[in-house]
Amino acid sequence: MERRLIWLALVIGMWGAAILANLISLQVIHHREYAGKARAIQEVVVQIPAPRGTIFDRNGQALAMSVSTQSVHVNPQKVPDIGVASELLALVLHLDRAELEAKMRAACESGRGYLRVKRNITPEEYESLRKMALDWIGIATESQRHYPKGQLAAHVIGGVDFEEKGNAGIEKALENELRGIPGRARMLTDVKRRGIESHEAQEPRTGTAITLTIDERLQFVAEREIAEAVAAHHAASGSVVAMNPYTGDILALASYPTYDPNAPPQPGDDPAARLNHAVSVPFEPGSVFKVITLSAALETTSLNPESPINCNGGKITLYGRTIHDSHAGMGVVPMKTVLARSSNVGAIQVGLKVGQTNMNDYVRRFGFGRRTGISLPAESAGKVRKLQYWGKTSLPSVSMGQEVSVTTLQLAQAACVIANGGSLVKPRLVLKRGNQLQPVEPPVRVLKPDNAITMRQMMEGVVLVGTGSRARLAGYSSGGKTGSAQIFDFATKHYTHTYNGSYMGFAPLTNPSVVVVVTLNGTHGEAGFGGQAAAPVFKVVAGEALRIFDVPKDLPEAEKARTQVARNEDLDDLAIADLGANGPNILEDGDDDDAPPGAAAATAAPVPANAAAGTMVVKGPPGPTVPNFRGKTMRDVLAEAAARGLVILPDGSGIARVQYPAPGTPLHEGDRIRVQFAR
Amino acid sequence: MATMPAFLRKNEAPAAPAPAPETVTRTARPRAARDPFRLRALPHDDIFFHCKRIDNSRLVREADPQARGACWSAIGAACLLLVLLTSAFAPTAMTTLAGYKLEALHSEERRLLEERRVLDLQEAELLSPARLDQLAHENNLVTPSSGQVIHLDKPEGEVAMVK
Repeated sequence: MERRLIWLALVIGMWGAAILANLISLQVIHHREYAGKARAIQEVVVQIPAPRGTIFDRNGQALAMSVSTQSVHVNPQKVPDIGVASELLALVLHLDRAELEAKMRAACESGRGYLRVKRNITPEEYESLRKMALDWIGIATESQRHYPKGQLAAHVIGGVDFEEKGNAGIEKALENELRGIPGRARMLTDVKRRGIESHEAQEPRTGTAITLTIDERLQFVAEREIAEAVAAHHAASGSVVAMNPYTGDILALASYPTYDPNAPPQPGDDPAARLNHAVSVPFEPGSVFKVITLSAALETTSLNPESPINCNGGKITLYGRTIHDSHAGMGVVPMKTVLARSSNVGAIQVGLKVGQTNMNDYVRRFGFGRRTGISLPAESAGKVRKLQYWGKTSLPSVSMGQEVSVTTLQLAQAACVIANGGSLVKPRLVLKRGNQLQPVEPPVRVLKPDNAITMRQMMEGVVLVGTGSRARLAGYSSGGKTGSAQIFDFATKHYTHTYNGSYMGFAPLTNPSVVVVVTLNGTHGEAGFGGQAAAPVFKVVAGEALRIFDVPKDLPEAEKARTQVARNEDLDDLAIADLGANGPNILEDGDDDDAPPGAAAATAAPVPANAAAGTMVVKGPPGPTVPNFRGKTMRDVLAEAAARGLVILPDGSGIARVQYPAPGTPLHEGDRIRVQFAR
Repeated sequence: MATMPAFLRKNEAPAAPAPAPETVTRTARPRAARDPFRLRALPHDDIFFHCKRIDNSRLVREADPQARGACWSAIGAACLLLVLLTSAFAPTAMTTLAGYKLEALHSEERRLLEERRVLDLQEAELLSPARLDQLAHENNLVTPSSGQVIHLDKPEGEVAMVK
């Protein structure tokens, strides 16, 4: 009996030991494995989206934003029958079956375990796939960047790559702030996969919203105008910068050609379209740089606007190199006339009085030769040689805007110095980070306030009696300076007959609210000079800016009727600033250049004393103006143009929608009218 | 004819103690000849039932205060147990239900946020200056010149008046 009991106890003991061993195996040795399996059954990991920060304009209009989308992928290694699978997916996702099958077979043969089938599926497609519940089909949630305004401010905003990482513009410059890091939550679910309880495993970090200083309305107008001007003057590219002269806020920054950031770059696309010409592409400024020369003269010499400057009849020979004023041929004129008529020789005379050291100093004080520090990648610093590398002819060259290269943005920054009373402000593109307003950096004094005001008055003369008459605004006073620089061909070491036509200006004169700089690169012929090509763009953009910002008019409306455009030869900025169209190349030929015929008569007459004081000067009877073709058929437009002897450049078909120049614009000899037709 | 007590007694009969062997008196009787054609009796073949009417109207249950108290105690205990169980398990159940609701609301919140973003995107597309410009051209609308728009000073008046 006792023996039997011992046996029974042993069996029970072994049984208990087996249970204990199994318990230890389950709870201790394989705890993680079984806990993981349990979690896999009971828990699901939920992605908490953290979208990339939205980019707004200064009025809160969204320029770039991200939304979540679903994408479908398959595991080709798990697909039981590729033929059936491709047919099924093609049916649900509206894809080409044969193409999909080929892709899946290729992926399967190459041993890939992941093949993305379609991105951005519709809710209906998502539901259809979810109901199938096939283990080889996966649906992932991903974020997609959208630019709702299309091409608007494309160069400012930039774009993102396929991983939603910024690759240009603000998207790249502020990548760390804009990028959102999605979070994860572990959710306990029931048998029907309904969530019961969730714990945040990783907190999401939403991208910071960025508010730009750009005004989308002004940006649109700037882009539209520069595109029209580039097309009308057959230029290679163009750019516009509009700035608030006091805070440095960039109100518009347009560059042409442009692109749509919603469309990914394709092979064969023109890379120039993605270049931000206003910030990244420096050029020789030409006559607009005379503003810097005269400002330096006011600061460092005893010259004033009425100081006589000897323009030597329009030519000067320095160190064996002759530089001339083409047809201008002015004698002794006040310094303000040098600026108004853009005398090359006059600017050199002024520059010689300033001296090399002072000129170099003021060029740098105005911000040239270094980056402005705007929040955009790939900004060019331009080129200003160090003083020790200046040659004998450097001072005359720099005085009239050669031997230096600048960006449109740098020109705008320099124009702000004149407009705001003499302080250099840093261009600002970011107004707010999240809800935090960005502080304005303290400006640096460059000019004495009275000298800045004097410069403003002299620049008004450019608009009233000089080369910038096409920039004159209705109801507002303004100041500006034209520039037409021949483009240097490094291959042939010659200046070519293609030009950089530019205009920098501000309005109103007494308390400027906006500075606008326009540059057209690679224009051809006289119509491509700054006064003819760039000044009208300034007029429209500055006028729109003043309207948008509700700036009160400072001239009576009656002045509008008296507005008179100067004669064509007065707008011939190149003829005054650089060489004539048929003149010898200054780098090639250092001998005396003959002044073009008729030059002496053109500007020898002194400027009326009341001109600089703001009185409009009417020059002769008004000429013919551009008729209004809008709303007419192509047949009617061509008939009317033929009757008037006008040259039309039609584009498209249907009804005339847009025309350039605008109706009512004074017509000049050789002008061609571009008319855009659309149905 | 047998009555139920008799039947029960009959069935219980084998359980009665057997008489002592010495007291059993066997009478030697000659065994009757078995009728070969007679069927063997089935068990309880001789039992017949009939209904006996019993009048219980005069029977009265005797008052038992202890049983009543016990009954009420049992009812009270059951209620108490129910309350205790309810209070013990209700929070868990409510938490679970609230969890379901919370998770449903979380996912709804995420869905609505996404929907709002999509709507914001559509709004931004519709307010694109290029589109507005095109619409303005189609409807022969022109931009008011500077100073033509007068904003009313009254704080409640957000309406712009065109001259």
